[in-house]
Amino acid sequence: MRTRDLTGDSTQVVRVPTMERPRVNQSTKMSVSDLAVWYGEKQALHGVSLDVYENEVTALIGPSGCGKSTFLRCLNRMNDLVPGVRIEGAVVFEDQNIYASEVDVVELRSHIGMVFQKPNPFPKSIYENIAYAPKILGQVRKRTDMDDLVERSLKRAGLWEEVKDRLDAPGLSLSGGQQQRLCIARAIAVSPSVLLMDEPCSALDPVATATVEQLIDELKENYTIVIVTHNLQQAARVAGYTAFFHLGNIVEFSDTDSLFTHPREKKTEDYITGRYG
Amino acid sequence: MSQGISLQPSRQLRRRYRAERRFKAYCVGALLLSIAFLVLFFSDMVRQGHSAFIQTEIQAEVTYNEDTVKFTNESVDESIAPLVSRAFFRSIPRRVDADPSLMGTTETLWLTATADVDQYRKKYSDRLEPEMQSTLERLESEGKVSYGFNKGLFTSGDSKIPSNAGLWSAFVGTFYVMLVVLAVSFPIGVATAIYLEEFAPDNRFTQGVEININNLAAVPSILFGLLGLAIFINFFGVPRSSALAGGLTLSLMTLPVIIISTRAALRAVPQNIRQGAQAVGASRWQAIRDHVLPLSLPGILTGTIIGVAQAMGETAPLLLIGMIAYIPDAPTSMTEAATVLPAQIFTWAGMPERAYVSLTAAGILVLLSLLITLNATAVILRNRFERRW
Ligand SMILES: Nc1ncnc2c1ncn2[C@@H]1O[C@H](COP(=O)(O)OP(=O)(O)OP(=O)(O)O)[C@@H](O)[C@H]1O
Ligand SMILES: [Mg+2]
Repeated sequence: MRTRDLTGDSTQVVRVPTMERPRVNQSTKMSVSDLAVWYGEKQALHGVSLDVYENEVTALIGPSGCGKSTFLRCLNRMNDLVPGVRIEGAVVFEDQNIYASEVDVVELRSHIGMVFQKPNPFPKSIYENIAYAPKILGQVRKRTDMDDLVERSLKRAGLWEEVKDRLDAPGLSLSGGQQQRLCIARAIAVSPSVLLMDEPCSALDPVATATVEQLIDELKENYTIVIVTHNLQQAARVAGYTAFFHLGNIVEFSDTDSLFTHPREKKTEDYITGRYG
Repeated sequence: MSQGISLQPSRQLRRRYRAERRFKAYCVGALLLSIAFLVLFFSDMVRQGHSAFIQTEIQAEVTYNEDTVKFTNESVDESIAPLVSRAFFRSIPRRVDADPSLMGTTETLWLTATADVDQYRKKYSDRLEPEMQSTLERLESEGKVSYGFNKGLFTSGDSKIPSNAGLWSAFVGTFYVMLVVLAVSFPIGVATAIYLEEFAPDNRFTQGVEININNLAAVPSILFGLLGLAIFINFFGVPRSSALAGGLTLSLMTLPVIIISTRAALRAVPQNIRQGAQAVGASRWQAIRDHVLPLSLPGILTGTIIGVAQAMGETAPLLLIGMIAYIPDAPTSMTEAATVLPAQIFTWAGMPERAYVSLTAAGILVLLSLLITLNATAVILRNRFERRW
């Protein structure tokens, strides 16, 4: 396994207790243990643990307000931006706890990309949307290399054919589905190893959704993906593993097939059969 | 079948309609009243001020020779000389110095008339000696009297002779003062706003700072004058009456305006732009510099222009730092004594001569047009570039 150093020099290895996990023979990309989150007085996550497997799609499902987004945002420390938030527990990525004091969040986020629920392209051109991050991170210097990178990223996001003639057009001039794929292209341009997606299709029509789903399927060859979705069929279609969240806890986590066909917990069954109130 | 539902307005509904009409009438009335006041004010200013934009001129033969350079009022016909403004005679030696070939020649020029003649012709006064009255009538019948555009209003400084008084030194003073205001309050204001809006933790201290900044915007401007006098002039030794002192003092007033409008502009940029940038590995400052600031720039500039326009119309604080003074020559540096447009208007308004009344009105018109232009620029900027989400 290629090891990325998030701190610059630290070689400290954090071992954390692991919970019972699905029996698989796959390597773990990220390991979350006893993650608890408070927004002010209110506890949103009650010590959850989960392993995210490499080159797999992990879906997070559950009723509204159960903490899926909170959990996802903890994986690249976007939750740090929320005023009054308190986070306990450990998230191990590349043998380092990302909440350790020596981890730099800006560095971390260049390895763990994120796609938001509402497409949020920068109010700049399509080209600049993709080129921005590689430029500020100093990954690409030459203009020709940048052109290549922009083309490659847009191709991988399945958007190249639609926009190759108007790379200078504003990103906001695209349709909703195109904007979301632009955001995906933007996220993969810095070659992260993990992609976090929070309901990436909730603002899209069925056709655009299908495109993005297909894209997710292709992306898992190279990336590890964690996706929050309210659409159970979507989870069934794209995810290899699924976690069911309820009231700030993970009720059940297993490979998607078993979770949908033989749920171990009553709550899970109620939820996936639509009996959840 | 009808269940007794009537679609005619009930009595109660009619009463509501009446109340609505009454309320609308009040609003329209208030609007008409304020429009009427505005129209009244403007037409009065134009009526009083228009004559300051024009000036009586008299055509005369001007002779340049050894004598007339010494006794300058001999350069024109002695019957006409009393009608011509002293400022012209004073300028003769200078003109000859500048162009020695004039010596020994005679030329026909349109000369500015004295204030008395000007006032008499504009029918503001009937105080004119009988001989001069008859000379004027003779010249008028010969077509040698007319109105010219009073260039002097824009090109000369203040003067004790009303027909020579102009706004030039006030223009230059205003320019210097506004330069100082911009150079001081724009960077400090924007930086403060960025810190408060984007970086500051939400604690007692920053809340206190916030409340105080909002209160600053409501402090009577004369107090800023006191503060400026105490700090800039008495403590730091900035020269009294100078554009620098005025600019620094007015900056105190403009700062809160810029801070408040910049914060509003920053807040209008949706949070997901910042998140999007930080999620791809931009630092906080990079997200602000590259995405948030460009989006909020129109709002920031609008606020700045409005703040500067406000400062431009301010007089009270300048009273205290000695900027309301007789300044005939335009300042050439930040530390020289200077005056500004509203201060010039204030000075003129206090002068006893009748001619200064129209100068005052003209000054008000000029200042108002400047301010309206600035504010219109701000509005256009906002409408053209501000995005809505
Ligand atoms: N910024 C915040 N400040 C305060 N409370 C928050 C904040 N974000 C989330 N919460 C609370 O934390 C809990 C979990 O929220 P979260 O957004 O993680 O739910 P979710 O599972 O993503 O819901 P949804 O499916 O509706 O998106 C909710 O009760 C919510 O009210
Ligand atoms: Mg959510």
